[in-house]
Amino acid sequence: MNDVVLMGLEVAVLVTGLAVLLLDLWITPDQRRLLGFGAIATLGVIFSASFAYLPDGTQYAFGGMYALDEFALYFKRFFLIAGMFVLLLSVGTSNAEEGGQGEYLSLSLFALAGMMFCASAANLALLFVSLELVTVTFYVLVGFQRRRLASLEAAIKYLIIGALSSAFLVYGIALIYGATGTLDFRQLASLPAAVMESRILWLGALFLFVGLGFKMAAVPFQIWAPDVYQGAPPSTTAFLAVGSKAAGFVLLLRVLHQTLPVLETRWLHLLMGIAGLSIAYGVLCAIPQRSLKRLLGYSSIANAGYLLIGVATLSAAGATAALYYLAGYLYTVLAAFIVIAVVLQHTGRDDFDGLAGLHQRSPLLAAGLTFAMVSLAGIPPLAGFFGKFLVLKAALAAGAEHPGFYWLLGIAIVGVVISLYYYFGVVRAVYWGAPGEQPAGPIRVEWPLQVALYLAMVAILWLGVMPNQITNLAELAVKSLGLR
Amino acid sequence: MEYYLPWFILLLPLASAVAITLTSLRKGGVAARLSIGACVLAFVLSAVLFGRDASGVTQFNWISLSDGATSFIADIALRLDPLSRLMLLVVTGVASAIHVYSYGYMRHDPGMGRYFAGLSLFMFSMLGIVLADNLLMLFIFWELVGVSSYLLIGFWYEKEAAADAAKKAFLTNRLGDFGFLLGIILVWALLGTLDIGALKTKLLTDPNALGALATAAGVLLFCGAVGKSAQFPLHVWLPDAMEGPTPVSALIHAATMVAAGVYLLCRLFFLLDVPGSHALVVIAWTGGLTALLAALMAVQQDDIKRILAYSTLSQLGYMVMAVGLSGSADNPSPAMYHLTTHAFFKALLFLGAGSVIHALHHEQNIWRMGGLVRRLPLTFWTFLVGTLALCGVPPLSGFFSKDGILALAQHGNVALFALAVLVAGLTAFYMFRLVFVAFIGPAKSQAPDRAHESPPVMTAPLVVLAVPSVLAGFWGINEYFGQQYGTRPVEHGFLATLIEPFTHAPGAALSGLIATAAGFALAFALYRNAVTDPLPSRLGLVARWLRNRFYFEELYAGLIRWTQDALAAVADFVDRWVVAGLVVKGVQGSVELTGRLLRLVQTGNLQTYSFLFAAGVALLLYFALAR
Repeated sequence: MNDVVLMGLEVAVLVTGLAVLLLDLWITPDQRRLLGFGAIATLGVIFSASFAYLPDGTQYAFGGMYALDEFALYFKRFFLIAGMFVLLLSVGTSNAEEGGQGEYLSLSLFALAGMMFCASAANLALLFVSLELVTVTFYVLVGFQRRRLASLEAAIKYLIIGALSSAFLVYGIALIYGATGTLDFRQLASLPAAVMESRILWLGALFLFVGLGFKMAAVPFQIWAPDVYQGAPPSTTAFLAVGSKAAGFVLLLRVLHQTLPVLETRWLHLLMGIAGLSIAYGVLCAIPQRSLKRLLGYSSIANAGYLLIGVATLSAAGATAALYYLAGYLYTVLAAFIVIAVVLQHTGRDDFDGLAGLHQRSPLLAAGLTFAMVSLAGIPPLAGFFGKFLVLKAALAAGAEHPGFYWLLGIAIVGVVISLYYYFGVVRAVYWGAPGEQPAGPIRVEWPLQVALYLAMVAILWLGVMPNQITNLAELAVKSLGLR
Repeated sequence: MEYYLPWFILLLPLASAVAITLTSLRKGGVAARLSIGACVLAFVLSAVLFGRDASGVTQFNWISLSDGATSFIADIALRLDPLSRLMLLVVTGVASAIHVYSYGYMRHDPGMGRYFAGLSLFMFSMLGIVLADNLLMLFIFWELVGVSSYLLIGFWYEKEAAADAAKKAFLTNRLGDFGFLLGIILVWALLGTLDIGALKTKLLTDPNALGALATAAGVLLFCGAVGKSAQFPLHVWLPDAMEGPTPVSALIHAATMVAAGVYLLCRLFFLLDVPGSHALVVIAWTGGLTALLAALMAVQQDDIKRILAYSTLSQLGYMVMAVGLSGSADNPSPAMYHLTTHAFFKALLFLGAGSVIHALHHEQNIWRMGGLVRRLPLTFWTFLVGTLALCGVPPLSGFFSKDGILALAQHGNVALFALAVLVAGLTAFYMFRLVFVAFIGPAKSQAPDRAHESPPVMTAPLVVLAVPSVLAGFWGINEYFGQQYGTRPVEHGFLATLIEPFTHAPGAALSGLIATAAGFALAFALYRNAVTDPLPSRLGLVARWLRNRFYFEELYAGLIRWTQDALAAVADFVDRWVVAGLVVKGVQGSVELTGRLLRLVQTGNLQTYSFLFAAGVALLLYFALAR
């Protein structure tokens, strides 16, 4: 019984998902919106309930399968916030969804539960199952607009590449088990050094990393991201960009520091290389982009690179920076996708031409998109600036020990400079783009989306101006991970 | 409660500015009510704080970065001490009168909402300067004052002169602010903190902490005050700033923006007054020079607002000089004292001038006025009170505060004392020239015959401001400020206060009075019945120099144009050939090309994608395992 209480948050989300699925059978189409609001409100309650958990150290459930600590709670809250925004977004743009509203809501909730399980995974079996819960539901969510060819194509691509990466993941887990005879994180961590030297174990760990790299959209496992981001419905893309990516990072951090800490130093150069490549690839490919969703796909790859810098430092400061960075990224991406969803609904296009004259058609949307882009570009005082600042500061500190970080720092800064070009390209399109033959009527934004957009903008500003509150939480979380 | 009060005071005007911008830019009346309400409420709360003698620091942590050896900590902190408490009261009090007056003055302007939003923003910035507890915050609000004054001076942006004046004020201020910023950085580098309290304790324990750079730090910090308080050589923006609406001139020139520079010097006096620093000497002479030059320029101006503007410049020079001379007594409170009384009577004079301009339908040339004493009696009498106070006629407030400065100069520096006395005479001369020509002398055009007294919403603030202009000398303001610098307040009776200047430093008081009387007599002789200005024909070249303000504007314009053209030519070459040609085109071209090539990888073909994914894994394994 105690075990169930410990994972009460996930259970509550799952029950909500099931309830939505069932209720959807009884209600009339007009009440669907209410169903959505009900689900969002429930998530809000669950979010506040998360503050009732005060883990004193790490608590385990189900024979050590499931761990609850500050680190897990940080990410659970993160996922819950992301989930609320995504549901709000899907309710606000419901007319665009061709499938059933109820199914979309419950699938999103199941994916959310999967992410929350990821945050608490303390066993490779749970890691695999929760990750698959996320991935499988996303297969459906990506292809949800089943009459849109692009959506279907994206779903197929996500399915095939996802299956490929899952194959590597499960193979890696098998190899680890073969080398050590256990799947439990704590037992893995306390293995004798001789076992740790095993090349089989290292190979298994690498395959495991392939599976996580796919979630994070880091080079060289990034190939799916632009196509899928472009094809999927905007609310799904938003969830994919923040939730799914963060799930990869939460697992990476836990595996890195709590499961195979002996291998840490071996990871170092690998992570540094992947971080640098991701930034370079994402930034360079984004330059010629004219599709906003695709642009954000590449931006997501570059951001994975910045996050990986924080992880690669293997220091508490770096991990804290990554955690803060994710929080800022969450609101920024959500703000961007809220705008994209509305623009897409009204103009049917997500390229720069569709944005022309937006500042006249809807000042709110224009302001929201500008906020998001300026934050992504890392301009103070918005959240994106402070995230990048913390990451680079951690890298600078780590450079004293590993001079390679100075190179990484250089790449990161050049990346920021180049990214200014395309992020401000979006802002230019919004305010100075030639409207062409667009119908120039004002765009009415539904109130749930207005609320969501305002909240996201306030959060972007708040995080940037008052970073201490989140960094304190993040420090607490990182401490519970056992980092100095 | 007291903990939150300063925050309320600071944030009220900001809330009003935001509310107006979001809801009532087109509803002037609502905007005016919001803005006036916020300002008056801030005044009331300031009075509460003042009454309770609240002091201390309220803060919360904002940025703290530490890197082992060095640390950079900036809090958002508000500081309450005798200096900020009284300054708060003066700023909000005078501003309240001006806010109310604005409602009458701007009533028919279509941009009234925007006007009051700007006014509230300005108040927020100014209160931030008064309350700031560290140099970084001070600097931020310092810049905010620059921005909001830009908005207010250029309020009638469709007038080219106003737009230019706003630009000029902003850029000139930036010049001073740059030095100020360098000063802040230098202080941080030398002392390792920006917190005012911490700086003070550091300098108390080790007065030589600034070392050989003490003068440099002091002068750099003074640069900020030179810009904001319009001291020579950055004085040129202030007279042009008259292009803004008259209440704005009153606000900027009386209690707020220009006062900020003097306030800064008094706030950071402990940084200037350190052994081995010559900063105070520089300050004293800059102030004295400004006072003299501005008073001379005022003698030959014809625009009613410009005369007052140069008078402000001159009085600010007085205050800055007072700060510079306070080194021996370690107590710059005479400067703050004069700042306070000046805030009252200068606001009164500007609002009076505004009332005249309003009544004459935007006629500002005094040689087209005259005879207004019968047409605008209330305006005239209050204006006369302001004039007498400004000239330092006992027992009005200006007499006491000016005498304090004269006494300082007499003790400190004979040359500066002579200069100060001369300025006192000039002040009486140009102010009574204005009074005789505009109010008392014969009418010089038809305009004055059609003039009517302004509505009560405009005259009431005049009367309200006239009261402290007369009485502020008896309120112990000097002693109150003295607490900030560690002197004990002494209680004087009414009579004792009245004769105190004559017993304390009779030479200073008498020479000041004689100079004033001489100035008045000269003005009376020359302008009592004048229809045109007799000075140009009598003084010839000198008058022309005075009228053209010593050709500073032309000199600056020429200098700036010449250096700018030269710089522009170089920059153009570098930009066109080196930057645009080599660097940008080259880098941008290669980056763009790489981007386009990389994009070819994203074919959209699933088989290719799967292959690339697997190839990526293979590469990863190769790099990880081959070593």
